[in-house]
Order: sequence, then C-alpha cells, then structure tokens
Amino acid sequence: MRAPFCALAALVAVALAPLPAPADNSPALAVAVLEKRCGQCHGEQTAASDLRLVGREPLLKGGKRGPAIKPGSPADSLLFQAVSHTGTLSMPPGGQLDPVEIEILRVWIEKGAEWPAGVAHARTNNWWAFRKPTRPPVPQMAGAVTPIDAYLLEKLQAAGITPAPEADKLALIRRASFDLHGLPPSPEQVRQFLNDNSADAWERLIDSLLASPRYGEKWGRHWLDLVRYGDTAGFEQDPYTLEAWRYRDYVIKSFNDDKPYDRFAKEQIAGDDLWPDNPDSRTGTGYYRVGTNRDMLFKVEDMNQVEKLTDYVDTTSSVFLGLTVACARCHDHKFDPIPQRDFYRMQAIFAPAVNDRVFLEYNEARFYDIAANYREFKLRQMGEEISRIQRPYREKLRDEKIAKLPPDVQTALKLKPEQRSSEQQAVAVQSEEKVKVTDDDVRAILSQADAERLHSIEKRLVSMFAGYSAPPMAPGIIDVGREAPRTYIAIRGNPNAPGDEVGPGFLSALGGGDVPDSPLHAKSTGRRKALADWLASPDNPLFARVMVNRIWQYHFGSGLVRTPSDFGTRAGAPSHPELLDWLAAEFTARKWSIKSMHKLIMMSDAYRRSANATPEARRLDPGNTLVAHTNRRRLEAEEVRDAVLQASGSLSLKMGGAPVVPPLEPEELYGIIGKPDAAWVVTPNAEEHTRRSVYLIQRRTFQHPMFAAFDAPDGVLSCSRRNESTTAPQSLALLNSRFMLEQARLLAEKVTTVDDAWRRILDRDPTPEERHGAEEFIEKQTARLGSKSAAFAELARGLLNTNEFLYVD
Amino acid sequence: MTRREMLLKAGQGFGAVVLASLLEAAESNPLAPKPPQVPAKAKSVIYLFMHGGVSHVDTFDPKPELARHNGQPLSVELAKTIKTSFIHDPTKAILRGSPWTFRPGGKCGTPVSDLFPRVRERMDDIAVIRSCFGDVFDHAPAIYLRNSGSQFPGRPCLGSWVVYGLGTENQNLPSFVVMSDGSTKSGPPAYSAGFLPAVYQGTVFRGGDDPILYLRNPEGISGETQRDTLNFIGKLDRMHDAARPGDSTLEARIASYELAFRMQSAAPEAVDFAKETPATRKLYGLDENRTADFGRKCLLARRLVERGVRFVQIYSGTNVGDDWDAAHEDLVGSHEKMAGKIDQPIAALLEDLKARGLLDSTLVVWSGEFGRTPLSQGKNGRDHHPYGFTMWMAGAGIKGGQALGSTDEFGVQAVDMRVDAHDVNATLLRLVGLDHEKLTYFYQGRDQRLTDVHGQNEFTRKLLA
Repeated sequence: MRAPFCALAALVAVALAPLPAPADNSPALAVAVLEKRCGQCHGEQTAASDLRLVGREPLLKGGKRGPAIKPGSPADSLLFQAVSHTGTLSMPPGGQLDPVEIEILRVWIEKGAEWPAGVAHARTNNWWAFRKPTRPPVPQMAGAVTPIDAYLLEKLQAAGITPAPEADKLALIRRASFDLHGLPPSPEQVRQFLNDNSADAWERLIDSLLASPRYGEKWGRHWLDLVRYGDTAGFEQDPYTLEAWRYRDYVIKSFNDDKPYDRFAKEQIAGDDLWPDNPDSRTGTGYYRVGTNRDMLFKVEDMNQVEKLTDYVDTTSSVFLGLTVACARCHDHKFDPIPQRDFYRMQAIFAPAVNDRVFLEYNEARFYDIAANYREFKLRQMGEEISRIQRPYREKLRDEKIAKLPPDVQTALKLKPEQRSSEQQAVAVQSEEKVKVTDDDVRAILSQADAERLHSIEKRLVSMFAGYSAPPMAPGIIDVGREAPRTYIAIRGNPNAPGDEVGPGFLSALGGGDVPDSPLHAKSTGRRKALADWLASPDNPLFARVMVNRIWQYHFGSGLVRTPSDFGTRAGAPSHPELLDWLAAEFTARKWSIKSMHKLIMMSDAYRRSANATPEARRLDPGNTLVAHTNRRRLEAEEVRDAVLQASGSLSLKMGGAPVVPPLEPEELYGIIGKPDAAWVVTPNAEEHTRRSVYLIQRRTFQHPMFAAFDAPDGVLSCSRRNESTTAPQSLALLNSRFMLEQARLLAEKVTTVDDAWRRILDRDPTPEERHGAEEFIEKQTARLGSKSAAFAELARGLLNTNEFLYVD
Repeated sequence: MTRREMLLKAGQGFGAVVLASLLEAAESNPLAPKPPQVPAKAKSVIYLFMHGGVSHVDTFDPKPELARHNGQPLSVELAKTIKTSFIHDPTKAILRGSPWTFRPGGKCGTPVSDLFPRVRERMDDIAVIRSCFGDVFDHAPAIYLRNSGSQFPGRPCLGSWVVYGLGTENQNLPSFVVMSDGSTKSGPPAYSAGFLPAVYQGTVFRGGDDPILYLRNPEGISGETQRDTLNFIGKLDRMHDAARPGDSTLEARIASYELAFRMQSAAPEAVDFAKETPATRKLYGLDENRTADFGRKCLLARRLVERGVRFVQIYSGTNVGDDWDAAHEDLVGSHEKMAGKIDQPIAALLEDLKARGLLDSTLVVWSGEFGRTPLSQGKNGRDHHPYGFTMWMAGAGIKGGQALGSTDEFGVQAVDMRVDAHDVNATLLRLVGLDHEKLTYFYQGRDQRLTDVHGQNEFTRKLLA
C-alpha cells in the first residue's frame, strides 16, 4: 500500500507549480483535507464545539472558540494553529495531519480561503459525482497522440514532469497479455510481435487479444470480485449454491461477447422482468444468489431476510453506483447526502424478490425435474430395501459387541435412553463408539443370497447416477408477485424497531423519484425493472463514470478516482476530472462497449509508458497520480497459478462448467470445516486439475491457501481493488509447495537448455551473464542432485520465484 | 531487537550494497513494531477459545437457585426471552442444577466447579466476567461475532486488528499464530484478516516439527540446494532490480525471501521443546495422554510469546472430534472430557508465565462463543445459550481474584455489567494499548473498526481497579 497522501502531494505540486499558471486547485484540495480529516467531528450534523467545516461562511463564523480562519493570514487562523500544533489547541485529537495536508491548508488560507465553486459541499447535493457528466473539450497539447494523452500531458506539464519513455516491446506484450488475459504471452506470440515492425503491430495485437476467449476469463474475474462471487453460501454447513457456476460462465461469456454494459447491468438487476423469455438474460439474476447467505440457519429467518436485503442494497449501490448506501442503514450517511430513508426506499425495491430457478432450456429442464422426482422416489425405496436386508445382521453384531463389555455398560446399553439414569446415559454415550456396526462388519458376514441381493441394488443405484449431469437450470430470482411485503425504516438499523413505512424509490441525491405501482394484472412489482432502467442510463451521473474508472484502474493499477466503489465526498476529487468525464461520454457514445474502451485506453501513449519512474517523477509525484509512467504490478493470485501452469505447458484451456476441486495436500487443507476427505472431494478427472484458476471452486469458508496468501478476495464483501501485499508466506508457498515443485519438474522435462528455460518462463533469452550463472548453477546441482533433469527442475523452480516472473512491467 | 538491527541481521545474506535499499524497504514493512495508541498493559495476548460453548453454570457461575429449582420450568416471562437451537419451546423445558460442586479457589475464594480444580488454584490471578451476552445462538455466526465483531465472515478478527495496530517484535515468526485441532465450526474466516491486507492473517500452527504451511523444503531438496537456489534467485532479482531503480516493492520481495528462509529455522526452533525441563513438561501435562495435546499448545504459546509473537489463539474443541458442543446430549461426559484435557495445561500456563515474569506483559483470555442453557436439553444435555455467559482474563496488570458482572438467579440473562462482544473486544484492545475508536481502516467508504459503532461499555478500568 502506498501512502495515501502521495496523491495529494502530487496535486499540490500541480497547484503550486509556478509555470504556466493552472487553475488554482488549492480550494478543492483544502476542502478534501477538511472533509477527510476533520469532517467526522465537524460536519453539518456532528458540529463538535459548534464548528462546521462545511463552507466559507461557517468557517468565518467559527465555533465556540471563535472564527476558524482569517483569510490571508494562516498564522492568525485558529484552524491552522490547531492543525500545525503551533497554538494552544492541537487537532485532530490523537495525531497530526500529514505535512502535505498542513501545507495545503496553509496555502489555501493564505490565498484567501475561497470555497471552491466546482466542489461545493456534498450536503448541498452538488457534489461533482452527482452531476451528469458533459463531454469536456480536449485540451490542445503538442505531442499528445490521443485525447487521453492530452488530458494527462496537460497536468504533467503543469507539474513539470516529463513522462517516461515508451516501454520496450517485450514489456508491452507482457503487459497487454496479462492485462487482457491474465496470462503471459506464449514464446511464439512474443517472437511474432517482436519481429513485426509494421505500424499497426500493436493495434493488431490488442485486437487479437480482445478476440480470444481468455479475455472473458480475466475480466470476468474482475467482475466476480465485485459481485462477491462464491460457489457456497458460508457458515458452518457452507452448502453449495447449486449451479452458481452458471452465473460465473454467464459473466465470462458476457465479457467475451462484449455485451453492452448497460444490458449486462440490466440483466443482472432485473433480467427476469425485462427479458422473461430469455434464459441467458435471466441467468444474470444469479447476481443476487452468489453471495453469502445464512438461509441454512433456522429460527432466524427474519434476520436472514434482513441481511439478504442489506446485501442487495450494499452490493448494488457500490458496484453500479460507486456509493456506500449501506452506511445509511442505521442513520443518515455521515458524509454523503444519503438519508436513512433512501436506504430503505432502495431496500423496498428488492423486498419482493424470492429465489427462483431459471430453466435454461424449457423442455429439457422439465424432463430433468420429472426424472429427479422419479430418482428421489426410487432412491428411498432402495434405501429401505437395503436396511431391511442389513437389519438382522446389524442387530446380531451389535449384541455380540455389547456382550464383550463390562456388565454395567451392558445394562446401560440395553436400556432404552429414557429408562437410563444420567450416569448410565453417560456410560452409554461413551460406549457408543465401541458397539458401532460398520458396513464392512455387515458385509463380512452376509449370506451369499443377501450379498447378491445387496449387490444388485447397488448396481441399480450406481446406474441411476451414471452420467449424472448438472441440471439445466441456473439460480436466479423473481418477484413473488405483484404485491410486495411492506418496508419500514428500521430505527437505528434495528429491524425490530420499525419506523415509518416507505415505498420503493431512487436515491434523492441523484434526483430521487418513486417507483410506480405495476399494472393490475402484472406478474411482478416491476420495481427492479424500474431500478435497472434508472441505473443503466446515460442520464445517471454515476453509472458510466464508475465503470470507466474501474476499467482504468484495472489497466493502470489505480483509478482516476482512487476509491472505485466510493464516489462520495470521502473520495475527494478525481485526479483528472475532465478525463473521467470524457471517458464516460465516450463509453456512452460507444454504446457501452467495454472492449472498445480497452482499445481506446491501450492505444494511448500513456498506456505504453515504461514502468520505470524517472527520478524527477518519483520526487514530484511519488504516488504516480499524474500517470507519468506505468505502475509495475505483482501478479494476482490466479495469475500466479495460471502463469506457472502455462510455463510448464500443463495449462488446460477448457472453459466453463461445474467448479473444479483441485488436489491439495493434507497440510494445505488444515482448518477446513469437516473431515478433509469429505469436505474436499477432489474432481476425479486429473485433466481438470490444471484448468484456469477462475474455474476452481470458491468455498466461502475455505480459500485455496495459495490464493489466500496472494490477496485473493474471500467473496464475502464486494472487492473493488485487491491488496498487493508482500509477505514471507507468499515466498514459502512459491518455494516449497508441492504444486510448484511438480510444475518445475514438468517444465524441466520439456527443457534442455538454459535459453529454453528462460524463454518459457521469462519470455526472453538470458543475458550472457545470466546464462553463465545458470550454467554454473546447473553444473553444481547436477552433481548435487544426481541428474541433469533434477538440476533443470531446480533452475525452473528458481526462475518461477524471480521478481521478473512475478511482476508485470 | 529494533527494526534496524533486525534488518541488519536479515541483510547478512546479501552484500552491503543492497543493505541501504533493504532498510528503505523495511520502512514500509507493515509488521514493523508500532508504538501503542494508549498506555499498554500487555505486549502479547494468549486467547484460549472454548469452541462449541462451555456451560457457564457448571464452571465459573455458580447458581444455587438453579439446583433448588431442579426439574421445574422457568417462569414463562423469562423463558420467552430466549431462543435456542434445539429446545423448541423454552417455556416447556425444565431447569437443571449443576452436577458439579463449586468450591472457593485461591485466597480470594472465587468459586469454581470441580471441572476446573487446577485453574481454581490460580483464581487469585484471574478476573471472571459473568455477564457476557450476545444475540446469536448458532456456532459459526457466534464465533465470527466474538472474533471479528460481526456475525458475518469477511471482517478482520481481533488478532489481525492487534497486529495491524501494533506490528510485531519478531519478524522471523508469524505475528499472529492460531492453534486448533484442525477443523472448527467456523473455518478459517474466524482468524482471517478480512479486508485488511493478507499480511495480518492468522498463521495456523499445526503439530509436528514444521508447524507452518510450506515451511519444509520440498521433497528431495536439501538445505544446501535450497540455499543455492535462493542465492540464485537473489542474484537474478538484484540484476532485475538494478534495471528498475527506486522500486521499494521489488526490494521488499527480495527481503521476503530471506525472511522466509529465516522463518524456516526460527519456527522449528520455537516448536522444539528439547530445552524445556522435565519439570516444565510435567507441569503442562505433556506426560499424560489426556492433557498432552493442549499442554503442548499452551507451552508453545508461552514460547511464542517469549519470542515476541504478538497474538496467539488456541482453540479447545473441534467439530470432527471431542468438543464442548457434545453437551447437547451429554453434558457430564462432554464437559468432564473437555475440561480434563485443558484444566492442568491452562493452570500450568498461568503459573509458568508468572514464574518467568511474563504474566504482567501477557494478557490471557478464556472465552467461548456462548454458554449453555440452564434448561435441560433432552434428558442429559444443555443447548446453546448466548444470553448470559462467562469468560475470564488474567495477566496484563488485571486485578485477579475478582468476579465482575452477574447473571440472574438461574444464569439465564446477564444482569449487572452486561457486556457484549464489542465491549469485550474494546477492553482487550485497550489492554494491549489500542483505542477501539481510533484503530481504524478505511474500507468501503468509511473508517472501519473492530467494534463498529459499539463498545461503549468497555470495562478496562473495572478490571484494573
């Protein structure tokens, strides 16, 4: 994690740069600092010491201690004395602001403490993010090849930073490949691209990467992070959400098809109501089903329902709107103009939703249902038949086992539980293990005839399940009907303390509005349909901005708004507001094509810059807010595994289907709920084990240990940006896990020279120095390990652990 | 050892040239020790988690009235205040007195039942809190709630918050260690870092000589080969790094490999009891089958705390073997068995920490996710009961020999000094020098806290008084 105020430092550099005088940013920065650091206690509502830091007038008026600022004179301003610890009052309590922040406030007061016109306080509902973006003019910048570059160069020049040069071609193809596919390029792809000197080589590379199905697997994974996807529901039983993977496959396919983003969003919010005859669209409503739920916890159904609705509001508002509406569950939002009432108006939209099964193909699904009923019925019959045959044997064996125990235990066990004293009960419970009759015990003494009868039942049983296929259904939701349960504001978030009844409606900060009642003979309330239309509209100021910011973030490492699921006041201003709005306008104009946005971004000079920051950029803009260079990034958890499999040549590119359970060592399964062999039933077909990570099972109570170490999300809350930590357990996993050793050995089987190993793992030839070192290493390890192939496996294990392999420049 | 010294030591695997950049990388080490936010009473925590639910009225909360009303129902009014998993109608169930005798312990005389005769001898060091309560009666959500302040998984647990706030003293061992019998009813989310970076995750110590996952060199790879390979990686990384100046992340990863290598020797050393005296082994009950496993965990906890590990959590009970939760059907059998495994080791831990002068700087916590019903479940059991139950604490300058809070005469509802999971967690944080209102992490639009907006009934002062 980088220091959060690097961004501010960079903006300060812009604000204070002497040459060509840019717009004075200091008011916007100052307000951002006040909001972030002081707003919690000195907001409109909180007003500690009667001080409200919400506008120029309130500051001039001040609080109990008198005026907070004297414009033009920081030293005489109580606010500045307090934050710089130069007076009697020191603020904020328990710490001091970052020096950069103090400097921002000093400059701002010195310049007259103007309250920014563009960045009015959020309480006025005039926050930039709540106003519809307009297409801003593209600045005329010499040397800018694309509008994106023009916006970026404008600020870089103002800050006096020269952007980094273009990266070399190897870095470029690796970057593009990891960004779009989550995989390294193959040695063949690298060779082709390096030898292609035509002017449009880069463009054709992007086109071909976007056309590959690997693209949906990578970008679908980003989306699954956002919608807190998992294959199981969580808690003690952690049951499977049956066919949750249909939604996962739907997401991957939607990205591969370049489904327009507005359509993609609408299908997920209300596919059942908008396209009731289209199973693919309705599968989108799996969005509601793939999160954590506690449906299996009984006697708390009312609470389970409350939590489910809260999850819907929380996830929907943060994913599609970039707003933390859930903060208004118990009280009005502390920082954004979202009253508690709005939370419950939004909740009312989801109140009529109930779980549903989407029949992917109607007749097939109907037949499947009938067959499943029949199978269930037959199963019970057979179960009864089996116990009938086994019973006499079981009783006999149990009596024999009891007879071997001490007399008092025998007495206790022979009594019915209700006849036993509590001591006898204790004895009986403790001895239960000793008199248990296993299936094997019974099998050993079966008569020939009974053994044959059982065998024939077992054969019938197995044949019933032979070729057992996944039901042609997907989890989804549907409205319970035209009438919805009533929704009340829960006072302080307590559902047992209902306040006013509210109807379904939209966020007041974004214009508000009620959802009308649906027509008399409608099958649904139409609430989610109305929400979908309202959300996924060019008139919604957040819908396009939030998504283009996400796309930007996944390409550049951080967004123009640094908090991708929070565009509220705590987010501050974007680093490049005009660029953000221009991208949003383009996204709408390009009919919500995500692929076209990739291309737009990747064709810019900015995307192709070297990952090496110049010393000047490091000094002036350490957080790289101004995008003077590319942010080097560590591979994500799935990318580590997939890249290793690709290097070793064992990656399977099979797509879709039920989640794969890969083999794990007992020590890796340590801590899983239940007995490992029952809780982790490995997919029998070994060819499945090397499929891409997006297809591996996502248990909510148990993460693949390598993924957990590399910051993969746990699928409980929406994850809009992964951590990128560096830890010793990561190194241990990459050095010592059986998976890595096996892959290194597989790789070594295919490799005969050092150069070959380098090409397969690092996509390039070794330098003479590296080649020499590697040959020495091979020689030494051959002597030590007894074979050249073992030495090459060691070399491979080493290369798979290098920073060059683990980072994308 | 200071951070700089630590790094100087860690840097011995390298040339002096890279040392400067290593030091720079260490500045961003998220586990570097940090000063406490408020005066700290303890440096480390050993949290003994009683998985499955221990009956409070049979251990630390004596209820003579319960025995007196044995076989009678609760008043309808009181019975209606509780909801449990298996007793479908509490108004129709009957009260059951404790089958165990309570006797005064230590000089203070705090009563403890015969389930914990050895812990009873240590009561002068222990403050019992008899007024814990919660509203969740299922295991997994209740375990999450006690550990992370939320019934839902996905939030950072106490141990993660503590190492996030304080860092750790020994970089060669994990900062936050968890020991269990393998499987729990909550799974790993109970010791997860939630939305905090993975570096604050609890590290599970298993049995055996290589307690940490992936600690052992791969099969067939000797120590020499491992060292050669590490040197080889280091050499390539330094060339790579030289072409990419000023990137502290790359340098941090180079350091993480050295750290991993050091952990490979530090962790086995920590779990090697060869240097412990026979008397110590005996004290912890390592010589007896019944106590050997939990005794090993307690002794290991002491050794980890000695080595600067910040937070150790030990689970008693598992959902695939012996568990406190077997009390559903067999109160006597389950509790005799479970208490028998842990009584001596826990008493030994307290005694040993005290003898070594570590008890003052170590906070020892004993708690489960809930208690058990004073009502009988079936003929021989007790059901889950979160409405009033007991935990205890020792060390950290806590005044021992006291019992805080109370439940009603039957042990149904917490009455005096009612404290929920947040109040307890706020208190535990304060004792290690963290203010639960200031220990925050910005996530999803707000400054998240372990105690969310709760924790107002923090009771640190009463403990220390």
